Parts: sequence; C-alpha cells; structure tokens
Amino acid sequence: MRIRLIGIVVSVLAIAAFARPVAGQTLPRTADGKPDLSGVWQAVNTASWNVLSHQAEKDVPAGLGVVEGDEIPYQPWAAARQKENFANRATADPESKCYLPGVPRITYMPYPFQIFQTPGHIAITYEYVHAVRRIFMNTPHPDGELEWFMGDSRGRWEGDTLVVDVKDLTGQTWLDRSGNFHSEALHVIERYTPLSANHLNYDVTLEDPKVFTRPWKMSMPLYRRMDKGMRILENECYAFGFEHTWLRPPQ
Amino acid sequence: MVEAPAVKHWCRVPIVFAVVVVVASLPRAIGAAGQDAQRPAAPAGGYAAPRTPDGQPDIQGMWNPIGTFYNIQDLEFQARYQNFRDDPSRRGRSLIIDPPDGKIPYQPWALAKSNEVLQHHADPTPQYLDPNARCFMQGVPRHLNNREFEIFQPPGYIVVFNMAHHTYRSIPLNGGPHIPERVKLWMGDSRGRWEGNSLVVDVTNNNDQPWFDVVGSFHSDAMRVTERFVPINADSIEYTAVITDPKVYTRPWTLKLTFTRNKDYGSELYEESCLEGNEKTLELMLTRPGR
Repeated sequence: MRIRLIGIVVSVLAIAAFARPVAGQTLPRTADGKPDLSGVWQAVNTASWNVLSHQAEKDVPAGLGVVEGDEIPYQPWAAARQKENFANRATADPESKCYLPGVPRITYMPYPFQIFQTPGHIAITYEYVHAVRRIFMNTPHPDGELEWFMGDSRGRWEGDTLVVDVKDLTGQTWLDRSGNFHSEALHVIERYTPLSANHLNYDVTLEDPKVFTRPWKMSMPLYRRMDKGMRILENECYAFGFEHTWLRPPQ
Repeated sequence: MVEAPAVKHWCRVPIVFAVVVVVASLPRAIGAAGQDAQRPAAPAGGYAAPRTPDGQPDIQGMWNPIGTFYNIQDLEFQARYQNFRDDPSRRGRSLIIDPPDGKIPYQPWALAKSNEVLQHHADPTPQYLDPNARCFMQGVPRHLNNREFEIFQPPGYIVVFNMAHHTYRSIPLNGGPHIPERVKLWMGDSRGRWEGNSLVVDVTNNNDQPWFDVVGSFHSDAMRVTERFVPINADSIEYTAVITDPKVYTRPWTLKLTFTRNKDYGSELYEESCLEGNEKTLELMLTRPGR
C-alpha cells in the first residue's frame, strides 16, 4: 500500500507537469466540430476514499474533498445510515465485493478509463472490473423500472460541454469507501468540460429525494494519461483473493 | 447444471423483455447506419463494406455467433447432458477446421487434463467448473462464441462489447507494439490492421485462465491468437482464429465461426452484471450435500 501511495504522489507530480494550460492551445475537435474527448483519462484525488475532506489514516491518503460546500445534505435517517456504513465499511462497502461501482464513483476510483467518441455514441471503458458505459446521444432513457449498476446514460452537447444524464441506477452502490451512499432513485447529471487538450473538468449533480434534502454537486479535474504506450489494462478485482476459497479450483 | 449464470439470467428475462420492446423502437443509432449507406460494388473475391469516416470497412452493429460454446470439438455433445435433440448424424462436427479431424492437437499430458474435466463437467467440483460460470472474463476467442456482441468502430479502433459479463475488448489499429510479455490479461492485448476488406488481429499477453468451452478445452499463458474477420456480405462475417501455444499443443490449430447480424436486438446492449448476485448461486451449487 505504501508503494501504491507513493505511486499516486508520483503520478500527481507527473501529471501536474503536463496539466498546465498551454498559451494559445486550441481544443482538439472531431469532424462534427465537437471537442474530441477521445483518449485515456484519470482523476487524481482521494475521493475514492472519501468525497468529503479528510485527514490521512493508515492506507488512506488525505484530501480536501470534491463536494461543493464540503457537505452532503443527508436526510436525518440517511445521516445515521452513513455513520453505520462507515463503521461497517470493511465488509459493507460494495467495492469490497468487487461489484460494479456505479456512477459517479467509477470516475474517481484510482484507475484509468478510456473515452471513445462518435457523433451518435460515446463509450467509456474502465480498467476497473471491465466496467463499461455506453452514452447514447440525444435519445431518451428507456421506459420501465430498470436498476443497472452502471445506470442508463444519455448524452447531449451544451456548447463544448458533454452533458450526461444518468438514471436507472441501483441502491446497491456507494459513493466512496467512507459509507456515503444513495438510493435507486439517484439521478446523476455529469458535465465533462474540456479545459485544454489534456484536462477536463468533471462536474456532477446528484439528486435523490429518498436520501438527500436537496441536489448537491461534486467537481474535480480529470487528466489525460500521457504515459508512453498507455492503454487500459485490467483489474479483475473478483479474481484476486479467491485462491484459497471454494470459488477457485485447487491447483 | 454447469451453466450457473443462466439461473440469474432467466430471472432477468421479464425485465429484459420489457426493455427490448421499448428500446427496439428507438432510432437505430449505430448498427444500421452502414446498411443504408450507398454501397460500393463488391469486388471479385470479397465483400467491400461501406467505409466509416476514418476509412475502415464498416462492420458495426450487433452480431451473433452460429454454433455452440459447449464443446468446440463436438457441436452436438451438449445434447447428451441437456434436453436438446440429439441428432446422431451431426455428432462429431467441430468448430475446428484444422487439423482436419476437428480435434485440438493437445500434447499427451494436456489431453489427459482436458479429458478429466470433460468427464466431470456435468457435475463439477470446483476444479472442474467452467471459469465462465464463476463470472470470470471469457477471453479470446470465447467472448465471440457465446451470445450477442457488438462491434463499434470509433476512429482508429475496433471495440467489441459483450452483454454477458459486461466484457469489452478494444483493438487499436495504430500499429503500436504489444505490451511487455510479463503482463498477462484475461482478454489479452489485441493489435489489429485492415488487409483490404479483412480485419486481422494479433492477440498476445493472454493469461492461462479462460477455457474455450464448458468442457475444459484450455490453453496456457503462452497462447497467441491470430484472428481474421472477413465480411462476406452486409450481414455475415466469417471468423477464423489460429491458436498457437507450444506449451500445450503439438501444432497450431484453427477455429472457424460465422457471425450473423442480429436484426432483432435494436441498437443497444443492456447491462448484464454477473458476479453481483451470482456468488450465492455458485456457493449453493458447489457446497450442496454430497459435494
């Protein structure tokens, strides 16, 4: 874990060197004139551990948080549930079971993801557990009561911002490793705004009338991974650690 | 009872069906685009698909393999274990076109290992359970020999999406080198190129975990796969995979599949999680009395 933390620090420094906007730089654009978001991206922050500000603990890097106002407007019962989740997080966190992590949590986990862009359809493939999202442009959500771990995503362009409306999520995913959570009524609006060729701003609005008293927002930059030969690898979480259980064949 | 995930999938059918009805009426975003485009005349010896904006032959859309993933060396084998029609005249047919006998050219030790799984596959203890039933990635080429999959062609890439196990596989076409040999992946490292109207993909860095089928046909982490996707008309692709693995086989062998365009599905795949909820089914199956 120490090596991993050092790795994160090194990555932050390496990425920071590239992230400075270049004077006069123009955004790369696709043939239809939209910003070209294609490529491999990654968040560099500690929201995966806690979306709110927090100090360091063993195996937890410190961070200033990504939530506007640094407060999640839980309803009273939900605030109590979050505390319970936090106390039980070692086993209650869906990440500990290697489940698909949901939206927006997948975006700020410490793994890269790749955006593929065409005019009618944007796909995001994530290194973590081969999670994948399909963002169909300018189309309605399907009818019916669906609950998908990664939700149903519908996109549109507002100027140079890609706006993605995400519904049909489950109540089985959390927002971080600290027990922050939502219900299946969660409605997420993501806004991907390019700031330069190599960084985006990622703004998220979360609405969930069953859990929160009002909509609230997260905001963070996403950085292009510029490593030589960069490609998404694999992190098949559930294939680790089963070596000594019934699930894995004896070798 | 080897297909444990099916238990869960069948539970999902009403939801999926409802969505199919709705989504099928949505505009077909990607898959049908090529069908309506003006097509160049097919040159002798091959079908010239319409081109994508970056000049690739356009083979986008939903596809289904014809065949079975149960036993790639005997397509009617499954009938013995499940209540399917067993047609003796079809027994022994194989997806393997080379060697001519349709059998995987295993080294003797590997044949013994494979046969052991074959004998126990219908009532498996953990070591004989298909990795696919554990929700592990299906690997290459099996992820193309299961159920519906989608081919997506953003600029410079082929991306294949599988609904089962929410698998994807991206194939860069930029001529870049493979990743370092010591990195092994469930879905391998694919590098593709178009040779005229045919897509040729070289797949290395495979790990030794996925099987080719339910009955234990296997490979090692030295496997290399050379795939060829040849569109033969707007709705069919002939696919061959040459499998090389000097640790396990005595010679390279070739598997052949045909993909047909799935016109029933609409243009969107749905989320089909596997591990989420499947673990208990597996545990019950493998820990039931008598195990």
